[in-house]
Amino acid sequence: MLQLMRKGVVGAMLLAVALVAGACGSGDDADGPTIVVASFNFGESLILGEIYAQALEDAGYPVERSLGLGSREVVKPALESGEIGLVPEYTGSLGNFLGVTPTADEQSTWQAVKDAFEPNGVTLLGYAPAQDKNGYVVTSETASALGLSRISDLGPLASGLVFGGPPECPERLNCLPGLERVYGLTFAEFKPLDVGGPLTVAALESGDIDIGVLFTTDGVIAAKNLVLLEDDKGLQPAENIVPAVRLDIVDAYGDDLVDLLDEVSAAITTPDLTEMNRRAGIDQEDPAAIAGDWLAENGFVSG
Amino acid sequence: MTDRPLLEELRLFLGDPGAWWGTGSIPFRLGEHLLLSAAAVIMAALLVIPPALWAAHRRRGVTAAAAVVNIGRAVPTFGILVVVVVWLGLGPWPALVALVALSGPPMFTNTVAGVMAVDPAVVESAWGTGMTSWGVLTGVELPLALPVMAEGLRIAISQVIATATLSALAAGGGLGRFIVDGFAQRDQGELLVGAVLVAALAVVVEMAFTRGQRRLIPEGIAPDGGRQGREHR
Repeated sequence: MLQLMRKGVVGAMLLAVALVAGACGSGDDADGPTIVVASFNFGESLILGEIYAQALEDAGYPVERSLGLGSREVVKPALESGEIGLVPEYTGSLGNFLGVTPTADEQSTWQAVKDAFEPNGVTLLGYAPAQDKNGYVVTSETASALGLSRISDLGPLASGLVFGGPPECPERLNCLPGLERVYGLTFAEFKPLDVGGPLTVAALESGDIDIGVLFTTDGVIAAKNLVLLEDDKGLQPAENIVPAVRLDIVDAYGDDLVDLLDEVSAAITTPDLTEMNRRAGIDQEDPAAIAGDWLAENGFVSG
Repeated sequence: MTDRPLLEELRLFLGDPGAWWGTGSIPFRLGEHLLLSAAAVIMAALLVIPPALWAAHRRRGVTAAAAVVNIGRAVPTFGILVVVVVWLGLGPWPALVALVALSGPPMFTNTVAGVMAVDPAVVESAWGTGMTSWGVLTGVELPLALPVMAEGLRIAISQVIATATLSALAAGGGLGRFIVDGFAQRDQGELLVGAVLVAALAVVVEMAFTRGQRRLIPEGIAPDGGRQGREHR
């Protein structure tokens, strides 16, 4: 009798598990797979992740967030394995990572990177006009004293100037070696600092370095009255914002999803991005609120 | 640059004559590292040991002073580094200030503990023979506290040698340069050389210090080392 009862209990439990599992499964089948939106671990990427996540949610797609996941070394494998479904990427940097040599041409860089990524199960949707590149920055005092507005203006002066940037700069094709090859610049000294962070800004302000490397959309450039030198010989590759999305998600939802994301991307401009970064970095506002405001202003969500 | 085996990367890095001679070579960075560490420990010792001795001698203000000194233990060293860069710019100061803040607490704590642990009967009799306050401190309390103080110095030195690598994050020199640059450039050989050298340096300096530490024990309480010595009095 006891034996029978035990069997009954086990059977009931198995049935319950099967019902719950079945319920989950049927939910997925009806609505399609959940889209896990991820981002890199820096402010701009968090805002972009929120923009795509909120736009999808507003259109009724099942969305989960994995924002601030890590560097590209972490995010790319997670995308390829299906742990995450969408991440806002940068065409040129992603190209370098995939072994494609990106150029300053937006369309051909996007195409080459998309072709290289698709065999891994991930595609690039349409890219945004907004770009975020490595920028060479001086203080406004330096700019007016030396008459600088373009990188080539540094030509006759570089040998007397100190350059500060991330420690990988001496090895990167779009950093010191590129400045030497494309612009013929050799600086008096290189000081290894951080990746477009507070140390670089502090070193510029204190005069320890004359030229620093910051991200071109960094809100601190405007806030601290720094001058971004124009890359007049096109050293930096195109770095358009682009959603990298798993092919199985694109297949599951088809053109509706692609059209929505393409419309959102097409509306993100570089000035928009710079302003959003300023709100996050200088005014310490919440990325989700900044993204919500941008979506409302551009008519993607109602208030 | 990423796919070569580690030994090959190590051979490439060590095979470059620049690794052995001139600015940025291994001996150069080792020298910078030792200089920075020594400067930080000496500055911290000068800053914290005199007030620690005086407070412990008078048995007053110890808690207040400890609260101030221990801020250095509570605030992350990297945080101090960044704040000082923002405040004073690059140069030797950011790393020095951060390392002084790190090495002050163990020296302060051990100086106070060393003086307070001196047998009250010994201090009483010193007063009783008519010694001045200064005489009691320098002639009795300080020598008897030396073994415990030396232990604080040893802790400070090994912490500073390991942490002086942070200086490289703010354009500084030292062995951290190999670790920071090797990491950023994915140069495993350079990274490994830096990491092994820092660890080896910390161990070697600690061993040398432990050997020298025995000489700091006053004759009266030797040869068993300070702690047993006092019991045999």
